[in-house]
Amino acid sequence: MTKAKQAAGAQTADSANLEQDLYQKRKKIYPREVHGLFAGLRFAGVSTLLGIYYIVPWLMWDGRQAILFDLPERKFYILGMVFWPQDFIYLTMLLVVAALSLFFFTALAGRLWCGFACPQTVWTEAFLWIERKVEGTRQQQIKLDKSALNRHKFTKKFTKHFIWILFSLFTGFTFVGYFTPIRELTAAIPTLGFGPWEVFWILFYGFATYGNAGWMREQVCTYMCPYARFQSAMFDKNTLIISYDQERGEPRGARKRGVDPQDVGLGSCVDCSICVQVCPTGIDIRDGLQYQCIGCAACIDACDDVMDKMGYPRGLVKYTTENALAGQHTSIFRPRIILYATVLAAITIGSAIGIAYRPMLELDIIRDRNSLFRETGMGMVENVYTLKLINKDVRAHEFAIGLEGVDGMKLNMPERVIRVESGDVVEAPVSIEVDPADLQKRTTQIHFTMKARDDPELFIVEEARFLGPYPGR
Amino acid sequence: MAEQSTSEQEREIPTIQKWIAVLWPSFLVAGVETIVFFTLFDPEYVFAEYEVSRTGAYSIGFFLFWAFAILPCLLTMYFAKPCKPCASTRDGKG
Repeated sequence: MTKAKQAAGAQTADSANLEQDLYQKRKKIYPREVHGLFAGLRFAGVSTLLGIYYIVPWLMWDGRQAILFDLPERKFYILGMVFWPQDFIYLTMLLVVAALSLFFFTALAGRLWCGFACPQTVWTEAFLWIERKVEGTRQQQIKLDKSALNRHKFTKKFTKHFIWILFSLFTGFTFVGYFTPIRELTAAIPTLGFGPWEVFWILFYGFATYGNAGWMREQVCTYMCPYARFQSAMFDKNTLIISYDQERGEPRGARKRGVDPQDVGLGSCVDCSICVQVCPTGIDIRDGLQYQCIGCAACIDACDDVMDKMGYPRGLVKYTTENALAGQHTSIFRPRIILYATVLAAITIGSAIGIAYRPMLELDIIRDRNSLFRETGMGMVENVYTLKLINKDVRAHEFAIGLEGVDGMKLNMPERVIRVESGDVVEAPVSIEVDPADLQKRTTQIHFTMKARDDPELFIVEEARFLGPYPGR
Repeated sequence: MAEQSTSEQEREIPTIQKWIAVLWPSFLVAGVETIVFFTLFDPEYVFAEYEVSRTGAYSIGFFLFWAFAILPCLLTMYFAKPCKPCASTRDGKG
């Protein structure tokens, strides 16, 4: 086990202090505002992702919502494609691809996901931004919380929660807009004419946003996130981590600006504790890698800023690898990375091909449940089925229904040609008659065919069973 | 001594973590169960006798799954409580 694993994973026996911290009652964390390269990157990530989330349901495609998970109709529209419950496998594949990407990026660059892309981080950042706009800086927030409840405090708190709740409701509204056409939802706002379940889910999702981003914050990462607990398994000595340079920093201590650390017998760390103040999970990076660290790099920006002011070189806290810290070469292309990348590429390409070539037709054959077979007045044996014709193609087609079975089998249905609109299902009751003398066995395999009349390439053959009496009876 | 330290440790687990340990895994499992169940079974057929929309059926289904998953989580919490050592081991006879 590498040092990083020990530190980032389960707490070891000698880090009992950390364990105590973990189980302590939560102290509210007031992350100090930070500027710098990584704060800029996070702002870019957060605004892009929030933008995508709030804009996507408004995009249109061919006169309908481009991305719509139409649960009431049991159809998922994604751009030009329509997915059905039968296409469940592609959703599974998508999740596998997502999980593998997470593994790949974790092995390569540590907890990039947590610090820059996780919805928990993204919404918490937005909520922190609102909080700062209303309550002011970290110091002002702490002062406000310590002060007795007066009109000033009440106004500030009320304003903050009011904006938070509005923003949460808008988030919940957008969420429901992925499942119910968002333009219809918007049209219903003036009269509040939403369906009861739409109201419920707007409130539920809004409440979850408000609770997680406003109140829970880093506790979600510490207690709820499964990834935070197992991400260290993907770490090795070449994984990018955020680390404090112990060698250079210690012994830490305050000194005047511009003083050479060696002259006063100190390391580069001026012990200003700004790296702790900016940390959204309230840890001290100088204690080493901890599993609460979400890799947001706020401490890097903060420390670089201080180093600049002191006239010291940057990078006392920096992105590095365990190998680099030990003065060894960091290799990017290592078996673990190559393995993750290969499997990821294979499954992604496989899924893409699978989706591109997925069958455009489906023919479900449902046997009449009430009777196995029926004897007609003419001495024939009859089986009754319901055919479900599903057209997943983007165009409507007329389909000819055919039967391949025993000679002399007769297919009865009102219309032999059935038109199915794009993305539609048509049910057709059919019956098959045959002279029992033609049946060799009690169960006979038959095949229904469904062929598009305008496209010879578009057809499907489905197997069914025809049941009759025991032969010779 | 051992008994004291475990109960101390237990007391130090924040209440929030206990709530999460019950509500959160059950929520995740209920989500997966809802997706799988309603992919296989169309509520239009399963709940045909009840006057409930598909969205309503999905929602009710989800909360039923959640409620049922909360039970084993609660039981796990219950059984995870430290047991008192029996008298013989405590006295160092065992």
